[in-house]
Amino acid sequence: MAEKSAEKPAAREGGRGAPALIGGRYQVDFAAPLAGAGGGVMAFVARDQQNAASGLMALQIRPNAPARVHAIELLSKSAIPGLLLPLAHGVTFTAEGSEAGFVICGAPPGPSLAAAPRAWGERELLDCVLRPAAMVLDALATRGVTHRAIRPDNIFQGSAGEPVTLGAAWANPPASLQPALFEPPYAAMCHQAGRGEGSGADDIYALGVTMLTLALGRPPLAGLDDTAIIRRKLDLGSYAALVGEARLPAMIADLLRGMLAEDPVHRPPPQLYLDPSAARARRLAARPGRRAQRALKIADQPIWDARSLAYALARRPEEAVHLVRSHYLDHWLRRSLGDAVLAGRADDVVRQRSEFPPEDSRADAMMTMRLIAVLDPLAPLCWRGVSLWPDGLGGVLAEGLQDNSELAGKIDDLVAAEATAGWALMRPELCDVTAIRQTAQHQRMWQRIRGLGGGLARISYALNPLQPCASPLLAGRWVARLADLLPALEAVSQQAERRRGEPVDTHIAAFIAAHQDGRLGGDLGAFAGDAAGAEPQLASLRALSRLQAAFPAPLPGLAAWLIERAEPLIERWHNRARRAETLTQLRHLAQAGQLLPMLALFDDRQALAADAQGLKQALAAAAKIDAERAAWRAASAERRRRATRIGHEIALGSGMMALAVSVGWLVLG
Amino acid sequence: MKAASGSGPVAARPAAKPGRSLVWLQGLACGALATLATPLAVLLGALLLPGLCVLLIDRMPGKPVARTMLLCGAAASVAPAWHLWDHGLTMENSLDLLSDVLTVGLAWAATATGWLIAEVAPICVYLGLEAAAKRRDGEARAARARLEAEWGIPPAEEAALDA
Repeated sequence: MAEKSAEKPAAREGGRGAPALIGGRYQVDFAAPLAGAGGGVMAFVARDQQNAASGLMALQIRPNAPARVHAIELLSKSAIPGLLLPLAHGVTFTAEGSEAGFVICGAPPGPSLAAAPRAWGERELLDCVLRPAAMVLDALATRGVTHRAIRPDNIFQGSAGEPVTLGAAWANPPASLQPALFEPPYAAMCHQAGRGEGSGADDIYALGVTMLTLALGRPPLAGLDDTAIIRRKLDLGSYAALVGEARLPAMIADLLRGMLAEDPVHRPPPQLYLDPSAARARRLAARPGRRAQRALKIADQPIWDARSLAYALARRPEEAVHLVRSHYLDHWLRRSLGDAVLAGRADDVVRQRSEFPPEDSRADAMMTMRLIAVLDPLAPLCWRGVSLWPDGLGGVLAEGLQDNSELAGKIDDLVAAEATAGWALMRPELCDVTAIRQTAQHQRMWQRIRGLGGGLARISYALNPLQPCASPLLAGRWVARLADLLPALEAVSQQAERRRGEPVDTHIAAFIAAHQDGRLGGDLGAFAGDAAGAEPQLASLRALSRLQAAFPAPLPGLAAWLIERAEPLIERWHNRARRAETLTQLRHLAQAGQLLPMLALFDDRQALAADAQGLKQALAAAAKIDAERAAWRAASAERRRRATRIGHEIALGSGMMALAVSVGWLVLG
Repeated sequence: MKAASGSGPVAARPAAKPGRSLVWLQGLACGALATLATPLAVLLGALLLPGLCVLLIDRMPGKPVARTMLLCGAAASVAPAWHLWDHGLTMENSLDLLSDVLTVGLAWAATATGWLIAEVAPICVYLGLEAAAKRRDGEARAARARLEAEWGIPPAEEAALDA
C-alpha cells in the first residue's frame, strides 16, 4: 500500500543530514546505487524498516521531469506479477544534504535483457517475454494505466528460462526515456517529455520492437539517429523499416506485423497475446499510403507521401508557409500525389489563414498545425517545431519552465492560441474534442491570470501534481505538496540572505493556486490583482495563514519575515500611534508564530475605516490651518495701513488731550 | 451757431471737494481773527508756524501729522495767548511775547513732539499688530505640527503659503 510522507509530516523532521523515512518506513541507502536498475533513472537500494527481507529500490525524481502521480496512486494498491510496482513516494535528504523526491518500488530480480545481448529463440521469446509482458499490460489496461518504458534495458530476468519482469516507469513522464526506436513514430517525433500517457497500443509497439531486438540479438537500425529512424518508419512503415531483410521465425514475424502496425487501432490488445496463435491469426489489412510520382524536396530530403510531408513540416514549420505562399503545396498534392480530396482540405486550411494579416506569425503557426493534422491525422500536435500529445503538455512545461525558456515561450503561445482545441477539431474522429477544448480553455484561463498565481507556472503545477515548487527561495528543498510548503518556508526564514524578497513569489503563488482546495480559492483571487499597493502582501498573508490553519504548526520565523515585508500593510494605518501599536502587537504575535491573528490585525476593516476617517478630518484641519496662515501672511499690507490709521488717531487724540489739559490748567489753575 | 451750441453735450458741473466749505470757514475765521485781533493772530501765527508749514506740505488724507502738530502747538500756545489777552491785546505785547525764546521754543518743541507722536505711533501700533499675528501663526504652526506627527501629513510648503 502506498504511503506518502504528506500523511506523516514528522517523517521529514529529521533535519539535514539525518536520514528521513519515505512513507514512514522506507530508507534510501545512498551508498548503494543500483546501476541500470532504474530504466534510465538514478536508483538506490531502499530498505523497508518493517520488512528487512524485501528487495526494494528508490528511484530519484528529477525536478524538471515530474513523476507519474496517477499511475503511482493506482498501482501502489495493486499486485501485478512481473512488474516493478511503485509502493510509495516521498522526500528524503540526499547524501549531499539537499532534499529530493523518490519513488520506492521493487528491485529487479536480475540483470536487464540488455546486459548480455544474444539472439533469443522463438519459444523463449513467447514463453519468457511475450506472455508475461502481455499479462502485465493486460493488468495495466484494466486499471487504465500504460507502461511506456518497455525496452530491453528496462526488462529484467532473474535467471534463464524465467518469465521476465517489466521495469519501473513511474519516476519520470511517460516514455520520456524511451529511444525513438522503441516508440511508434507518432510518439517518437514528440518532445521527450510530451509523449503523454499514450495507450496500450504504444506499449504493444514497444514490446514488438523489444521482441525484434531480442530475436535479432541486436537492436535494429543501429547507427541511425532518431530523425532518420522516424523518417524511415514513416516512409516504409514500421515493420518494413525495422525488420528489413532480417530473417525471423514465421510466428515472430507474423506477431510483429500486428504489433508494429502504423495505426494504434490495428495493433491487437494485450489480452490477445496471452495466446500468441490467436494473435497471429488476427490480421487487419491496412491500406498503404498514396505515393507521389515526383518527390517534394524539403531541406534536401525527398518527400514521397503525405505523412512524411507532415513530419517534415512539423520539424520545419517555416517551410509550410513557404510552400503555401508559393502554391507549390497545392500543386504537389494535386499533380504529384494525385489526392484531390487532401488538396481540398489543405485549401480549406489555407483559406482560414487568409482571414488574418500576412504578418501574423501565430496564424502561420496555426495554419501549419492544421495542415499537418490534415496531411496526417495520426500525427501529434505540432506547434512551432515542437510536437507533443495534449496530455504531455505538463511534462514539456515542467522542462521548459526550468531549463528552456525558448520551449516555454512556444508553449505559452500554444496555450494562448488554444492550439490543442484547434488540433482536436481537425481530427474529431480520433479524440474527444469536447474534453480537449475544455482543457484548453481552462489552461488559457489560468494563463491569462495576471500577476501572482497565474501564468505558465500555474498550468505546470496543475498538470504535474508531483512537480516540486521551482521557487528560487526553496532551492535545495523538495516541496511537492502544500503540507511541505510552510515548514520549508519556515526553514528558509532562518536564513537571513534569503529573506530579502517576498515570502510568496510567482512560483509559490502558482504552486498554492494549483494545489489549492476550496478554503484557499477566494484568498488566492487577490494574487490575480494589480501588484501595486498592499493587496499582494495581504493575499500572501491570507493564503499562508489559511495554510497554517490547514496544517497547524507554529511559524515564528515566517511570521517575522512577513512582518519585515509587511511595510505596505502597516502603512495602511495612517495614525502613527496606531501604527506603532500595531507593530508592537505584530511582533508579539510573531513570537508565537501564529499567522491568523496577524491577519486579523491587518484585515480589521472597521478599524481601518475609522483610521481613514480620522485622516480625512486631520487633513481638513490642516487645510484650514494652512488657509488661515496664508490669509495672515497675505494681510501684512492691510495691517500696515491699519497701524498707520490707528497710530494717527492716537497722535490726534494725544494732541487734543494736551490741548484740553493746557486749557484746563489755565482755567482751573 | 446757436443751434450748434444748443445741441452740444451739457458740461457737468465739477463736484465740490469735501471739506471745501470747512476750509472756507476756517479761512473766514482766520481773516476775522487777523482783522479783529491782529496781535493775537501774529502771536498764534508765529507760535504755530511749523504746524502751519506742515499743513501746507502734508499730502496724507486728513493731514493727520499737521493736525497733531497744530494741536500740540496750540496746547503750548494757550498760556501765551491768555497772557496777551490779559495784559492788553497790543502788538507791542505780542512782540514782547514773541521775543521770549522760552515761549517760542516751548511752542515749537510741543509742535515737534506732536510730529514725533504722529510719526512714531503708527510704527508702534504696527509692531504690536505684527507681534500678535506672529504669535497666532506660531500657535497654528504648532497645531499643524501635531497633526503631521500624529497622521503623517506632509508639512506645508512655506513658499506656497506666501504665494
